[in-house]
Amino acid sequence: MSAYRRYDEVAVGDVYPAEPLTFDVSADVVDGFLSATGNDGSLYRERSGTRRAPSMIASAYLIDLLMARRSPPGGIHAKQSIRFHRPIEVGEKLSIQGTVIEKYIRKERPYVVSSFETRGSDGTLVSSGQVTSIWGKDL
Amino acid sequence: MSPAAHALSSDATQIAVGDTLPMLTRSITQEMINAYAEATGDFNPIHVDPEYSRTGPFGRTIAHGLMTLAFVAQMLNEWSDGRFDACGEIDIAFVGPVFVGDTVEVTGSVEELVARDGETCARIRLVCRAGERQILAGHALQPIENGKS
Repeated sequence: MSAYRRYDEVAVGDVYPAEPLTFDVSADVVDGFLSATGNDGSLYRERSGTRRAPSMIASAYLIDLLMARRSPPGGIHAKQSIRFHRPIEVGEKLSIQGTVIEKYIRKERPYVVSSFETRGSDGTLVSSGQVTSIWGKDL
Repeated sequence: MSPAAHALSSDATQIAVGDTLPMLTRSITQEMINAYAEATGDFNPIHVDPEYSRTGPFGRTIAHGLMTLAFVAQMLNEWSDGRFDACGEIDIAFVGPVFVGDTVEVTGSVEELVARDGETCARIRLVCRAGERQILAGHALQPIENGKS
């Protein structure tokens, strides 16, 4: 079996991964993200023993989530919606899961739309939204 | 955007329609793209492999769309004193690629005041361009309190 899924193997209602994946909001991940995006991190310095993390660290956990779909390489991120429900802190462990809610062909390009939810270890909603991707070319 | 969002009939805050948000500027290098790939684990070859990208739709590597979105979030946090991280919302389409050598400019303007789940929010039309090229199109929603974002 290929490590990747063909577009015709993707179905509306698919939940991925089968069990929510976990993402550790570590100091290393946050520092790497801030550095790579040219953010001086002034909002994210430790205060009173806690350190806030940037909400868009979502771009790291969303990549982990999208990899769980096993799309072939070369796919393109077409649209993104995301709502943040609460701030997150360094040291948190998040869980993320997605569901395919739509697929369609437009201009001969195969699109997949997924919804996702991210929750903290206490079950509270951290972020939610939708990702629209052009599926990578079948191998 | 949340379906619960709709236009307010009264001016509930000091934030005015037409207000312009600060501009954030980033110059894009392959090293920056590679660092972003390392930070997020997104090693899609269209971002990090010039040889692979030469035969792709853009003929060269492109920056990650979510990296551009990180710039947008940074700008919104600067404007809102960090409140975007807690309760902001973005809904965008990536409409143009970002290439190595581009200078990306991100800003926005308050288009209207709306209500979402009982809170007053600024609905912000986002502007993101590289020179004359539009990079993304869409809006952000930011709850506001007492006229402060």
